[in-house]
Amino acid sequence: MMYQTHSEQETKQAAAQFAATLHGGDVVFLRGELGTGKTTFVRGVVEYFGFEGMVRSPTFTLMNRYPINHGSLKTILHVDLYRIENSSELNTLALEEELGHSDTIAFIEWPEKDTQHFVTPTHQIQFSCVGTVHEIQYEKETI
Amino acid sequence: MRILSIETSCDETSLAIVAQNEAGFMVEKNLVSSQATIHAQYGGVVPEVAAREHAAWIFPLMQELEIPHDGKRIDAIAVTAGPGLVPALRIGVELGKVLAWSWHKPLVAVNHLEGHLYSVWLETPHPPVFPAVCLLVSGGHTELILMKNHGEYQLLGMTRDDAAGEAFDKVAKLLELPYPGGPMISKIALEGDSTMIDFPRPMFDSPNLDFSFSGLKTAVRLCVEEFQHQGTLDPSVRAGIAASFQQAVVDVLVHKTLKAVQQTHPKSVILSGGVSANRLLRETLREKLSMLHSDITFHSPPLAFTGDNAAMIGVAGLIKAKRKEFVDPLSLHADPNMSLTSL
Repeated sequence: MMYQTHSEQETKQAAAQFAATLHGGDVVFLRGELGTGKTTFVRGVVEYFGFEGMVRSPTFTLMNRYPINHGSLKTILHVDLYRIENSSELNTLALEEELGHSDTIAFIEWPEKDTQHFVTPTHQIQFSCVGTVHEIQYEKETI
Repeated sequence: MRILSIETSCDETSLAIVAQNEAGFMVEKNLVSSQATIHAQYGGVVPEVAAREHAAWIFPLMQELEIPHDGKRIDAIAVTAGPGLVPALRIGVELGKVLAWSWHKPLVAVNHLEGHLYSVWLETPHPPVFPAVCLLVSGGHTELILMKNHGEYQLLGMTRDDAAGEAFDKVAKLLELPYPGGPMISKIALEGDSTMIDFPRPMFDSPNLDFSFSGLKTAVRLCVEEFQHQGTLDPSVRAGIAASFQQAVVDVLVHKTLKAVQQTHPKSVILSGGVSANRLLRETLREKLSMLHSDITFHSPPLAFTGDNAAMIGVAGLIKAKRKEFVDPLSLHADPNMSLTSL
């Protein structure tokens, strides 16, 4: 399935529709070049789940955590492996302590940095841009 | 008073000894993993990937500090307790707790951002006077903070998406510049025309003191793609894009800081964090401030203390120790979301 969006608002709307299909323990890989809308998409998801604070880029922090209260869902994790150079560095994130819990949904940007396939996704989304038009491509078998 | 300080909140493992005397806060030693010349582990050179391995670094750095094993002549210990990555913070926090407990020394917990604010107290006889407006800019932060007194902070504005330093690094990547991206942008910008491209100044006219740099990054991406498409992305065009981008970021940062000054009437302005090393930003803010408000003093840290370091944690720690703001080593926990205003 593929969506085209023309504004931040439209990207966030697409994200909210996608968020409604998620379950606790899901791990979503977000692929795409710089500036294609990955963080905006996560902002749309986190806002859908009722978080009211700011959703900022996790590039430098490596991982941001958003507490939510949505049924049994308690936490959205936003992980960014952009600065990871080597799979062994993933240890510094201690992701194994965080992923797969039934009250947590995780979004992982730049999953291709995880060359040893340390993490397995339940969903994958590809982001791209043609000029100012953003394309969001969901992997068929997972949605 | 001498303090041992520990910082492991993000990429750098850092230990310092800072002393307070009549001349101010003096750094006796400040060891940072990415700059250190440790022989034990890596034969003198630190691979970039290893800089984040706090557990591997912390004892070689302790050894390099040459503190007596009984902690003699250390009066207190300060450690960054947050915000940051829990597995990273935990290494420093646990070291601080163990040393405080076994040496019977008082322990102080410092907020990483507070450390950056206190970096301008380092090695100067003329520290800021309160109230102070602080622009904290780094890879992970872009915040305007009103510092009313020691330990009294009010958040005035912050980035809504990317930090300014992150925008520098990502634009460097778009321009295919080598690591470290931020300083490379400033370097090639020297050869470029900063009026070549009129990039957007995000949120320049917004009524609040918040920032946004994600859209600017996208504007640079579109611009780079356009030149690539035409086959004209040569070094002079790259330099022009870098200079125009840098100018856009500096314009927004300076404009919002001056707006904060007009709203809060401070006695000092502080510029700190990794991006405070950017010369155009430093000079522009200094000049505009002295032009518009000659009575307000301007402070930015010595270049060696702009990035993450333990010396700044030591200053914040000494000030807290003087106020007896100690924590219990048996119950201190790393706090990944530690907020400046709830200190």
